[in-house]
Amino acid sequence: MKAAMSLKRVLSCSLALVGIVGSATAADKLVVEAGRIITVQGPEIVDGVIVIEDGRITAIGPASEVEKPWDAPVVGGPEFTAFPGFIEAKTSRGLDRANESVDVAPFLDVRDSLDPINFFFEDCLRWGMTTINVQQGEDCVIAGRGRVVKPHGDTVEEMTVRPSFGLVLSASPKRGKSRATQSQALRQAFVELREHLEQLVQEKRDGDDRARREALYQGRDLEGERAKGRAMSSTAWKVDGLELVPRGEVDEKQEPLLDLVEGRVAAFFHCSQPMDVHRALEIARDNGFLARTTLVLGPACWKAADVVAEAGVPAVLSGDLTHTERDPVTGDEIETFVPTVYEEAGVRFALSSENSSTRSLWYQAALAVGGGVPRETAIEAVTRVPAEILGLGDRVGALAEGMDGNVVILTGDPLSSTTWVDTVVLEGEAVYRRDEDVRNRHLLEGIAQPGTQPSQGSSDFRSEDEPDVEPTMADPEEGGDEETPSDETPSDETSTEEEEDTQQ
Amino acid sequence: MKALCATLTLATLAAAGPAPASELLAVRAGTIHTAEDGIVLRGEPVMIISNGEILQIDNDLDIPLGAEVIDFGPDSVIIPGLVAADTGLATGSASARTASPSLRALDNFDFYAEFPTFLAGGITSAYVAPASDRLIAGQGAVVKLAGEEAASRVLASPAAVHAAVSVEARSTRAFWEPPAPATVDVGMGAPRQQLPKSTMGAVVALEEIVEIGRSGEDTEVYGEGVARSMGSLLEARVPWRVTARDEDELRAMIALRERTNLPIFLHGADEAANLVSELKSAGVKVLFDANFTPNRIGRDRGKSRDSHWPDFSTPAALVAAGVPVSISSRSLGSNLLFAAALASRGGLDPEQALWAITLGPAEAYRIDDRVGSLSVGKDADFAVLNGDPLDAGTSVVATWVDGASAWSRDQGEGQAMGMGATVLEVEELHLGDGRVLSPGQILMRDGRIAEVGSAVGRPGGARVIRGFAAMPGMIDAMGHLGLEGARKTPSTDFALGRIVGPGDSVDRRVARAGVTTVALTPRGANKSGSPVTAYKPAARDHDRQVIGDPVALHVSWEDKNAYEVGQDVRALLEKAVAYRNDWEEYEKKLAEWKPEPAEDEAEEEEKDEDAEESEKDDDSKKKKKSKKDEDDEPEVITPTGLWEGEVVRPPATRPSALRMRLLETDGQIEGYVRCAALSEELVELEGYLDEKLVSVTGLGTQGYIHIEAELDEDTLEGSLFAGSDELELKLERTNADYPVARRSEPKPPEPEAKAPRGKPKEPKLDAKLEPLRRALDGEGVVVVDVEREDHIRECVAAFREVGIRPVLLGARKLHLVLDEVRDDIAGVLPGPVIVASESSRGMKQRNRYAELQAAGVRVAFNSLAEEGAVDLPLMAAYAVSQGMSPSGALRALTSDAAALLGIDERVGVLEPGRDADVLLLDGSPLDVRSAVQRVWVNGREVKP
Repeated sequence: MKAAMSLKRVLSCSLALVGIVGSATAADKLVVEAGRIITVQGPEIVDGVIVIEDGRITAIGPASEVEKPWDAPVVGGPEFTAFPGFIEAKTSRGLDRANESVDVAPFLDVRDSLDPINFFFEDCLRWGMTTINVQQGEDCVIAGRGRVVKPHGDTVEEMTVRPSFGLVLSASPKRGKSRATQSQALRQAFVELREHLEQLVQEKRDGDDRARREALYQGRDLEGERAKGRAMSSTAWKVDGLELVPRGEVDEKQEPLLDLVEGRVAAFFHCSQPMDVHRALEIARDNGFLARTTLVLGPACWKAADVVAEAGVPAVLSGDLTHTERDPVTGDEIETFVPTVYEEAGVRFALSSENSSTRSLWYQAALAVGGGVPRETAIEAVTRVPAEILGLGDRVGALAEGMDGNVVILTGDPLSSTTWVDTVVLEGEAVYRRDEDVRNRHLLEGIAQPGTQPSQGSSDFRSEDEPDVEPTMADPEEGGDEETPSDETPSDETSTEEEEDTQQ
Repeated sequence: MKALCATLTLATLAAAGPAPASELLAVRAGTIHTAEDGIVLRGEPVMIISNGEILQIDNDLDIPLGAEVIDFGPDSVIIPGLVAADTGLATGSASARTASPSLRALDNFDFYAEFPTFLAGGITSAYVAPASDRLIAGQGAVVKLAGEEAASRVLASPAAVHAAVSVEARSTRAFWEPPAPATVDVGMGAPRQQLPKSTMGAVVALEEIVEIGRSGEDTEVYGEGVARSMGSLLEARVPWRVTARDEDELRAMIALRERTNLPIFLHGADEAANLVSELKSAGVKVLFDANFTPNRIGRDRGKSRDSHWPDFSTPAALVAAGVPVSISSRSLGSNLLFAAALASRGGLDPEQALWAITLGPAEAYRIDDRVGSLSVGKDADFAVLNGDPLDAGTSVVATWVDGASAWSRDQGEGQAMGMGATVLEVEELHLGDGRVLSPGQILMRDGRIAEVGSAVGRPGGARVIRGFAAMPGMIDAMGHLGLEGARKTPSTDFALGRIVGPGDSVDRRVARAGVTTVALTPRGANKSGSPVTAYKPAARDHDRQVIGDPVALHVSWEDKNAYEVGQDVRALLEKAVAYRNDWEEYEKKLAEWKPEPAEDEAEEEEKDEDAEESEKDDDSKKKKKSKKDEDDEPEVITPTGLWEGEVVRPPATRPSALRMRLLETDGQIEGYVRCAALSEELVELEGYLDEKLVSVTGLGTQGYIHIEAELDEDTLEGSLFAGSDELELKLERTNADYPVARRSEPKPPEPEAKAPRGKPKEPKLDAKLEPLRRALDGEGVVVVDVEREDHIRECVAAFREVGIRPVLLGARKLHLVLDEVRDDIAGVLPGPVIVASESSRGMKQRNRYAELQAAGVRVAFNSLAEEGAVDLPLMAAYAVSQGMSPSGALRALTSDAAALLGIDERVGVLEPGRDADVLLLDGSPLDVRSAVQRVWVNGREVKP
């Protein structure tokens, strides 16, 4: 129902988004040229070339060594920097609603709520984010399955990189609950799964086919794999005789949890306080999905960094990177820069754009570097680590042969505040160009009065290609701007401010 | 297992010698309450701790070599860390169900939180309730409130099934769960009422739930999951902590326990006193709830017959019958010691009361293998108190968990609660005026004595110090400490308070000998008399250092020239009388004078202005003159004055302020420097002036400081050597005077700007005669140097004539004329000569002090020396050894001295409102063998 509605909205609105969707380039081949290629997993390449064929990188290296296909269009140039693109390990943006009122709802899927025309995805391109894991929010006990998407496509299916990816669990209490009742509900969910499975087995042994009739009545698929029974493959606990029960007969509401216990889906466990970390790890361990768990940690959780390191699970740092608290005895304010604590404890962490101050990953990484995290670690925290968390370590998060053809072409260093995203290439297709970004342009230049300029249409963009029309990237203090006549100064000032806000 | 560990460690200790001793900790205290069988170890027992466990505990233990020793002092009392048997530290929202046995309190407990208030109450372990207001709220846990590892801090989980049958459990709302998804086939459902609504309902529900647990089959009424969790709780025989308050509830629970064989113990138990025999025969433990909520306004208890009014005698009644009682108090929170004290007030034996908040609850929750008492093999959790555990005034000094300090009063809590208050507890409290309180206590606060009595209030966090005796600080009734060797006699109106500085090491040494106040007078006497200033040499706060400036006038009757004897004083008295009469006349006129109508004012004004001007001229001339007197040699450059500047001492990059005061006399320089970067305290400087080079040295807390700088007008430039650093120094003179303590100069009353016609004119104020004028009015004190009997007679007669009762100084031959003059003198300062021998009449020896005091004359000891004031207590002891009354000698050192000098409103007696100048002695002050142990001046202890 929701999906159908979303689709309708996509169809009716997509025309307005020409600038973002862009005109199609040759889909099968593309060459990216860059003065500097940041590969993330290897050394940087100076004056390099990336060849993308059929959506994958087939060659990457210095221009002198790589043969460029003669018929491929070329993007970039020597003044640009090529970067693998930022990866968001977990966000609940881009959704119609972030949460359900039902406490335990693993049977939900964000597919039904994902909104392809949400501005969030448009912004993702502007910020150079190429892979995003969209999931429900943390206001839950157990929420539904998420989906890894790229920020481009008219339908959910087109955007999808990985469907039904991970489940969201929360160890910090949902509204109206205490930590004890939250933990009780979490544990109870698995107890109920177990009881349900035991009941199915018992019924099967008793020759009762109520579950089968129920499944057929609900129109569930009972053919192929789903007609077969399978022994339970959990490491933590098992239900004997489960192989007697065709998988299609397992209750829809319980099945995602069974997948979790059997280690087939990833878990994203939210913790807002350090005490939650213990509870989350305990529940994950007791139910056999610790190996596939990623902790989504609030700022206060740094106190449990050693516990996280010991459990060997990766973490996504959401919220502020600085944690402030007051000493209950002395009343002194204590400030902690969170990423350095995890770095020192040896926790592999990803930074998240889900933050009160900004939505861009480059800024988070730059902030981490400013707080004392090594640059390499900070860059990995927005590329390789999230890629690995999403199980896409061999496809995204770095530039290498055989990986997905996702390249972000930047005007400078990825962590610099004066850098723009110039072009975004997704699977060999240039889906975003800054000079075609209408919204950005309007933000920087203001919207022309009706009549003084033709209304928005593709013909306008040609004229705007001329470099002198481009918003200047020059430092406002370099003098040139200061000599502008005084009546123009106000608009210049605003544009400078806006520039900083919208970079990347 | 634990015991085994302990023995093993002991064995290795014995075998391997001091190797593991580095990890050993020996804790010594005055008294240790073990809480086990009421055993109290007295006589400075020792507790040896290893790895957070108690290895040994006893009197007379040998402390292993290399062990770290922590001595809390002979006055300290150690009790086991308290076990709070009921807290809400992990209480969250309750389950929607009436019974939620799978709800774990531990899930809600934050091991990362800190609990300073509980630790400050001596509580180291706490039972945390999962929720409240449910028949079965969940599983309670017992946790430690401090410690490193979360896992090792859990003493028991589940520690108890948290249940209640009292009124709070009867408000469970009807249960309704929204179906997901609600379809045509699945209705929305309706809320379902839940038990209990009455005691009867509670019993029914409990029995049903136990049955569900035993059979393993869930029912729709109590919801899914009850059977499984209840089953495991029953199987593990986890204790049931059931809140039951009324008699019928308690009776029902005793019966339920009999029927179901559940390990129930009862919490609350307000009306348990009526069921003593039933509880006893059923063998039920009771956790009494001391229900009193402090800090709450207007809380009523209910007027009906069955409302619960506080009855703290219940625990005593139960214990008397042999029912084990523990005490908890949710409402009192961290004041568990107070809860126990309440039960003790209800008749419970103090050791039993202590048991009730330590080992009692530990046994109830089955954690007595680790906590609850202090014995070998248990965790080293304890609280250090400054008094008997249940004394109202006792407070917790420090709390230790697992052999490590978890909280101590110095951490800041105490300061907020009134740190700085000190209580002295002594066997003999000598108030100074002859009264003795035995035993006695004194509370010092904010520099003054707040309370004196046999038991005084103790603000939370007050430091309590015990000793044998206390008395007021002694007074040197006439001495020179503070003159720093000065020999000149200043003018009569000179305020000596200007030359005294904050206590230096000499002042502190004198004070630590017991002399806290000195009546300072210059050497030699002026013709018009010398000022006498009473001050406290060792005081550190300027404002309260000077008691009176001046307090008395010191004149000399004697003269080398026999013709002149007494002449100066007679002349002075004459002048003073005339001066006094002028003023009296003026005041009389002023009182009679009535202002005339305002018409002629303008005319009159002019005249008056003229008069005023001339008067002003006079004043300014005088000022100029006096200024000249002060700066004798203005041409010579001297470093005397206040210097200010900044120094940067690496590694600091920011400059820190430096203030230096110097006083140069004949090329010698002395003074002080204050600079945070160089020393935490004021540094005394000494040095010399060589032409323009100033060279001074002093010892600060961070080593020697040496300054070598060139003097030029108002700047001082050069180097400062501190340790190995050479720092650039540039100072500016901000004041050319040598600044001294603030003085209270008597200011002449400002002449009224518009004196109306006919208003009597004020006589000129003469500061030199002011002290005498006050003496003539019976307010001031005059001290007269006089020795010979005939001189004494004449002198006293002269003073009698003008109506002054002088204090005689010296008065060696007073005994010859004592009967004549006794009524006309205020007292005598007989000086350093205590025993006078008169060889002319054979070897007759007289104890002058004893004799005079016995004759009813007030005497006071005085040194007539600077740091020689330190001998004052010895002089008194000697006087006593030579027959003076000990209590009389004490008075002569304190209250009589203060009375003679007219400063008894501030010092000399221990009374509320007076300055807190107190001496603590190791024996009676009346005993020669007693020594001063500690000294407080203005409430601050004087440290060497």
